[in-house]
Amino acid sequence: MYEKEKDLVNAYMRGQMSRRSLLRSLSALGVTAASASVLVNAAATQALAADFDWKKHNGKSIKLLLNKHPYTDAMIANLDNFKQLTGMEVSYDIFPEDVYFDKVTAALSSGSSEYDAFMTGAYMTWTYGPAGWIVDHNEWINDTSKTNPNYNWSDMLEGVRKSCAWNGKPGGELGSADAKQWCIPWGYEQNNLAFNASMLEKAQASLPTNLDELIETAAKLQAGNDGVYGIGVRGSRSWATIHPGFLSAYANLGEHDLNVSDDGKLSAAMNTAGSKDFHAKWVKMIQESGAADWSTHTWYQVGTDLGAGKSAMIYDADILGYFMNGGDNAMAGQLAYAPFAASGNGAPTPNIWIWSLAMSKFSKDLDATWYFMQWASGPEHGLFGATKMDFVNPVRSSVWEDAGFRDRLANSYPGYVEMHDVSAPGASIKFTAQPLFFDLTTEWAATLQKMVANEVPVDEGLDQLATSVDRQLKEAGLG
Amino acid sequence: MHHYSPLERVLRGVALTAIVIFFMFPIFWIVLMSLQTNETILRSPPSMVFEPTFSNYAAIIAGRLDSNVASMGIEFMNNLMNSIILSVGSVTVALILGVPAAYAFARHKFRGSEDIAFTLLSFRFAPPLLVLLPLTMYFQQIGLADTYLGLIWVYQLICLPLILWIVRGYFEDIPQDIEHAYRIAGHSWFATFRKIALPLAGPGIAAAALLAFIFAWNNFIFALVLASADKQPVTVGALAFVTASGIQYGQIAAAVVLSITPTLALALYAQRYLVEGLSLGAVKG
Amino acid sequence: MANDTAVRVAPARFRIPSKLFPYLLSLPALLVCIGILIPFFTAVWFSLQRYRLSQPWNRGMNWGENYLNFLTDPSFWNTLQVSLVYAALTVGLELLLGLGIALLLQKRTRFNNFISIMLLLPLMTAPALAALMFKLMTNPNFGILSYFAQVLGFENMRWGSDPSTALLTVVLVDIWVYTPFIMILLLAGLRSLPTQPFEAAALDGVPRLQQFWRITLPMLLPYILTASLFRLLDSIQQFDIIYAMTQGGPGDRLMVFQVEAYLNFFQSTNVGRSAALLLILWAITFFLSNLFIKNWLRLRERARGEA
Repeated sequence: MYEKEKDLVNAYMRGQMSRRSLLRSLSALGVTAASASVLVNAAATQALAADFDWKKHNGKSIKLLLNKHPYTDAMIANLDNFKQLTGMEVSYDIFPEDVYFDKVTAALSSGSSEYDAFMTGAYMTWTYGPAGWIVDHNEWINDTSKTNPNYNWSDMLEGVRKSCAWNGKPGGELGSADAKQWCIPWGYEQNNLAFNASMLEKAQASLPTNLDELIETAAKLQAGNDGVYGIGVRGSRSWATIHPGFLSAYANLGEHDLNVSDDGKLSAAMNTAGSKDFHAKWVKMIQESGAADWSTHTWYQVGTDLGAGKSAMIYDADILGYFMNGGDNAMAGQLAYAPFAASGNGAPTPNIWIWSLAMSKFSKDLDATWYFMQWASGPEHGLFGATKMDFVNPVRSSVWEDAGFRDRLANSYPGYVEMHDVSAPGASIKFTAQPLFFDLTTEWAATLQKMVANEVPVDEGLDQLATSVDRQLKEAGLG
Repeated sequence: MHHYSPLERVLRGVALTAIVIFFMFPIFWIVLMSLQTNETILRSPPSMVFEPTFSNYAAIIAGRLDSNVASMGIEFMNNLMNSIILSVGSVTVALILGVPAAYAFARHKFRGSEDIAFTLLSFRFAPPLLVLLPLTMYFQQIGLADTYLGLIWVYQLICLPLILWIVRGYFEDIPQDIEHAYRIAGHSWFATFRKIALPLAGPGIAAAALLAFIFAWNNFIFALVLASADKQPVTVGALAFVTASGIQYGQIAAAVVLSITPTLALALYAQRYLVEGLSLGAVKG
Repeated sequence: MANDTAVRVAPARFRIPSKLFPYLLSLPALLVCIGILIPFFTAVWFSLQRYRLSQPWNRGMNWGENYLNFLTDPSFWNTLQVSLVYAALTVGLELLLGLGIALLLQKRTRFNNFISIMLLLPLMTAPALAALMFKLMTNPNFGILSYFAQVLGFENMRWGSDPSTALLTVVLVDIWVYTPFIMILLLAGLRSLPTQPFEAAALDGVPRLQQFWRITLPMLLPYILTASLFRLLDSIQQFDIIYAMTQGGPGDRLMVFQVEAYLNFFQSTNVGRSAALLLILWAITFFLSNLFIKNWLRLRERARGEA
């Protein structure tokens, strides 16, 4: 490091200089923003080395399988610090999300030892865990000889942490006492509202506080803004259509995906009267105020439309709204955020998506891999990513308490912090953990598509879905 | 021969124009898109008036793209390289294996030859996934997973039958007299094959190789299932332009243009062989 | 016919290398492909098992149960139906269009040759990328095709996202990519037809339309059959276009065999069902390819006989 730069960074570390003026001064010296951030963090990482033998696996190398994602970018931007800290080599393969999970399945099902750790979602571990492809991370978390004292596992948000733990019994409660920690939370998404503030104003609409109001507001937004549709939600033929806003609202109304009987048998629960009522409303909302090509919308179309000013509001992952409020999006700076409880009780219970890290059982050196895991999911990297990169939402309460992070959010993302704080207590995975998760949710999405297209009435469609779900559960010996 | 009436001339002209527009327009439009930024692409109604920019191409070639939020590295040029390695590699292997076999089938009616030839051709028509899914497991065990070699082997499923059948047809159409005379003049079998048969079948071999190259280049599913990120061809790589921070439509378009340019250029350059190859591949024209 | 005599006289002397020689020549090619047979039999074995990756304890032979389940499984019948409809529609339309274009370009003029070369370009485009192109063009926000539809009065044309037009949309992409293939084959066929029958018919004053029905079409029939069978074999296995456009949706509208099997394997990790599906597809294509190859051989013989 050159002297001038070092001085600047140290001044920043001592708090004599704001981050912005530091970055400006550094860029005057020809240091790019990204590497400047890394410089700053390098100074912070030096503190990490105390009390723990970080160099134990010096010279070893591990390989990661990663999804193309801002979390990945944040990790890579900081990776040199890990390499310096441990003397380990890290290589990685990055795949676009369209094919990412297929690649993970292909690699793991073939017993490939190529990757030591990979990104995953909690739902996927319901397949990977029972299949014997991933480890129970408790073994490492609880071993003080392998985990550094600053790791602070209990700092992880409880709902998030528990959602990544399952005892492997179909229908078993997430985070139960006998649960295995199948993956380590990395970053997560709550499903709430993100809306275009000026469009809301123009349509003279107010923020919805229950499902009926949501439908009304969506219609109003659409009527009051030319060439804009009211609400963006996902609709592709995939499990991903069910898990964001849809399931969050569904769960908030007290509905369930499956019944779990006392003897552990599963059966469909989506054809209750309450569920039918909810489905009918949701379908109506999409028909009246949804995207024209809703049935092909995955998260990126939902997000892009909001960012481009083609939609007025989304009920989807909060970070999608976050991303759309920056960069060269047409609507950057005009978006705002609000929590949403479909039942009207003011207590949102968002279903959550958790990007996590998991170690492959086929890894040749799990202990060394765990060094990467604890660093990547540790508090320092979490704070670095959350304040310098787009590593949101953090899964650690210490990061959420960080004033710098809260200010950053509050300044450019109106309502975001409050939304998170209100929703966090109720935020967890609302699905029943079981191995047929993808079969059943994909079929659910397909049924929803048929309802929206008026190919089948809501009641009939749900009855058919329930019959089919029950049949598949029986076939797999679960029902 | 008869002459067309004026009305017929007009009708034919209209029909041909419509056909050319239908088949050419998508390519034309995608090229236009690739020269625009998201801002002009997202205008409605769409307009052909814009300031062309090469920024999309520059971003792809430089391997860095500044997306809505952060800038990230993309490896599209690496994908292009992989496509070249895989396509050239598999065609080369298919030629080395296929041409002698094609010659054997054409010249020597040996016991079971039709059966073997039929078996080889039927590989062309088997559902690829049927083979690929179990292969993911075997490749791991025999160490072919994630190697160019393993992929090139699987690519033989497309290339080999094609080469075999087109080249065989070609050999069969060459009169044997010349080879015969050359043999009688005391030259070895191999010399005959190399000096007489191969050059005579040259155009057919060229046609088959070109076609095999294009089919290999356009393949999507093999590498998707079998290879890791650093071995993916452009057909999979073009999907990488969708990121969490938004879609850069112009870059997708530019990537598509870059991916199809090699095959289109080949097609224009060697169209005579292609037409011949296609006709021979399915029928003897 | 001179060639054939040569063959008949020559073989004894011509086959100077040992009897094994031709086997040796074709052996490497065969070996490379034999390797493929191993996974094929593995797939057969998988298809006879209850085999889900997410429930390893449940794995076991269930013999024909996966196949028997299909009988009562509505989604299987849907898959079969969608695949057949897709194949019939694409091949039928491409044949009509391809034949039409071939007839227009039949005369060997410089202009016609130029056009036929231009028309080759879609065929040289990767189907997955073609699907991506059409996805961009049918985007409701900025897609040019959506705009055209709107101008033409189809305000609510939703292309791939609407169940009533989804099939049409993927068929459109398929037509765009593959019609040139049929066109090229039929053009080759048309141009190789002998001219005498047509000259005679013209002398007799037979109307051109009748010439087409009575002479052109029957003589072209083998080419048409071969081209259609060839396309049919590819079309019934369609994956790239549908997967890239809609992943089989909306609803189950486009759930063709390979897409369903892919999702079964990768998303549901239901290996047994996936393998059974693919084997049924294989049985269909095997039957069709037998037909095709027989037809192809007959055509070749005929072409050689006339040469």
